[in-house]
Amino acid sequence: MPGSEAAAAIICRGLSKTHPGGVEAVAEMDLAFSEGLTTALIGPSGCGKSTLLRLIAGLDMPSGGTVSILGRTPAEQRREGAISVAFQDPSLLPWLTVQQNVALARRLARQEPDPDHVARLIALVGLDGFAATRPAALSGGMRQRAAIARSLVTRPRILLLDEPFGAVDELTRRQLARDLPPLWQGRGTTAVLVTHSIDEAVTLSDRILVLSPRPARIVADLAVPLPRPRPADLDQNPQFRAIASLALAALSCG
Amino acid sequence: MTPRPGLIGAILLLIGWQALAMELSLGLILAGPLEILRWLFEHSGLVARALGRTASNAAAGFLLGNFAAIFCAAIAVLWPRLQDLVLGLALAGFCLPLIAIGPILRVLMGPGEGPQIVLAALAVHFTTLAALLIGLRAVPAVWLDLVHSYGRGRFSELWHLRARAALPYLFAGLQIAAPAAFLGAMVGEFTGAERGMGVLTIRYMRALDVPALWSVALVAATAAMLAHAAIGALARKLLREDPPLLLAPPRVPAARSSLLGPVILAIAVIGLWAAAIRLAGLSPFFAKGPAEVAAALFHDPALRDGLMRALGQSAGLAAAGYLAGLAGGAGLAVLVTLRPGAAGFVLPLALALRAVPIVTTGPLIVLLLGRNALGTVSLVAIMIFFPSFIACLHGLRQAPGQILDLFRVHAAGPLAQMLHVRLAAMLPAFFAAARMGVPAAILAVTVVEWLVTGRGLGSLMALAASTSDYRMLWSAVALVTVIAMLCHAGVAAIERRVLGVYAPEQMRP
Repeated sequence: MPGSEAAAAIICRGLSKTHPGGVEAVAEMDLAFSEGLTTALIGPSGCGKSTLLRLIAGLDMPSGGTVSILGRTPAEQRREGAISVAFQDPSLLPWLTVQQNVALARRLARQEPDPDHVARLIALVGLDGFAATRPAALSGGMRQRAAIARSLVTRPRILLLDEPFGAVDELTRRQLARDLPPLWQGRGTTAVLVTHSIDEAVTLSDRILVLSPRPARIVADLAVPLPRPRPADLDQNPQFRAIASLALAALSCG
Repeated sequence: MTPRPGLIGAILLLIGWQALAMELSLGLILAGPLEILRWLFEHSGLVARALGRTASNAAAGFLLGNFAAIFCAAIAVLWPRLQDLVLGLALAGFCLPLIAIGPILRVLMGPGEGPQIVLAALAVHFTTLAALLIGLRAVPAVWLDLVHSYGRGRFSELWHLRARAALPYLFAGLQIAAPAAFLGAMVGEFTGAERGMGVLTIRYMRALDVPALWSVALVAATAAMLAHAAIGALARKLLREDPPLLLAPPRVPAARSSLLGPVILAIAVIGLWAAAIRLAGLSPFFAKGPAEVAAALFHDPALRDGLMRALGQSAGLAAAGYLAGLAGGAGLAVLVTLRPGAAGFVLPLALALRAVPIVTTGPLIVLLLGRNALGTVSLVAIMIFFPSFIACLHGLRQAPGQILDLFRVHAAGPLAQMLHVRLAAMLPAFFAAARMGVPAAILAVTVVEWLVTGRGLGSLMALAASTSDYRMLWSAVALVTVIAMLCHAGVAAIERRVLGVYAPEQMRP
């Protein structure tokens, strides 16, 4: 089984998912995600990586197998407020301000209001001065920042990122990928990132799992031993290029 | 769209109207604006008192019906299994023939304001409920995922997402409900109230007082339009956006069994009916339960023949008016879309007139067109025309821009765009209007028959009420309600087949 189970925060055993209509998205997968690390799942479009993330979050029920998060079921962990999901669509509520959108996550997670923490996170994601703004007046990148702030405000132990920078332009995407990960990395948060960008996976993660076309199975398990914090010109680094070409090779023959 | 063409249109209309009324032969049935103004000036106290009474009853019914709708919508969202039943019961309430329910309520509730308020509530309940259910479902799946990702369920969905997302739809429903409540209150007054616009309508109808009849209708229509406009203004102030143009999306039945739902609904309706009579301890002379109505319909040939004869007279007129109204509404919408210049003139007029409770002006229209089939058919058609026109126009504008661009790239003209793209885009709106038009057509035909022509089901129900023939009255109510629901279901079935081909995206659950 890939990943050491001793320090695993998320353990999937025999996980499978067949959608109604008979499409097999995930077939018999065994997986473990190490505590405190960021793991990227990359694979071709429609390979089932988002489905895998939804199974881990418990948003979809598996057709077979189990998911265990820190020894408990996803449903139990969700009720504890231990899980946060950042979606590809920032999914901010249009009638709430940035501050209210971020604070909403604490209410949903049954946590005490903490206006200072909310304000600090809004500043940390670079939205200082926009706390009272509604989403319609923000750019795509700013909405994405607000959504990341919302997903972090509950201090989740498990952070699930479903192509969180997928809907913004390339420049903004690079900047978000550089600015935001330090907010959860090195703080004990176990993160799973779904992406189809090899560069993003190498930049953000400690480990990359390359998935095959549907039904998803793991074709490569790559460590990313690059030091943190990772500089802006990381993609010029030979080690970065080496890992990226390994991932590309795995993706091409998967 | 500037207001100017609308304004010019209104002025032209007024001048034309006055000129027509001054034509001697028409003066017997048509009052001009000047006559109406004089009559209103001379009878201002009377009209003000009547309007106050009707407006307060309409407001009470409006509140009652809409609170009930909000309650039912919350139940349907929190317990989705109950949704079909809640919606079906509300539809049954909407399909009850108001003019037969009026006399029944009059006996139950006595001479006060009760029946007017209940009828106003019945007239608004279903439309608001339908609007709310669309709004409560107008929530992107990813928002629901957000709530679920923190381990929260349906109450949180409702509280944090659905309630707020539904507000624009609620206001759109309330806008339609305002004139409907006015209409319900007036129909209630037709059945023997002491005061109100409905009472004045009946009185002047009997006396054939043309200026008075026109004045009362005009005041009622203006009051309803103002209520409609006021709710629109309130919505814009509160939400900083226009209420959506309301469309009832097709009902996608649960996959398991298409027969189970109607059977459960029928059992629920019959059970509620029998239980209500039993629990209220009503006199068996007056209150007829399901068993007695069934016995009357199956074992009393005289009653059944009378009912069927009346049904035959009404059904033809209602169907003709219904089809004419739908075709006219869709046809004009197509024409206006092909010649966009016309929209600036026609649309403001149609938007203003759709708020008129047409049925309350029914006597006038029949007066103008005659106490014959043509007058009745025309009134039904007008009742259906405005909502279909506005819905279809909206639908035609929903044609996807990129596909239209594709046609433009190949230099295909407006007609080709209409045939290949826009007509298909119009279908969901057209069918939504067609479904909602079924009870409206039945209401229109029965009111005209009752007040004016003295034929058909409307007249039969009025006669049964005045001669205390309660077996006939309850049988007629049951029959009309069942037929209205069957027609509604029939239109919905055609809608599902057509949209399954032309707008499959509308058919997702």
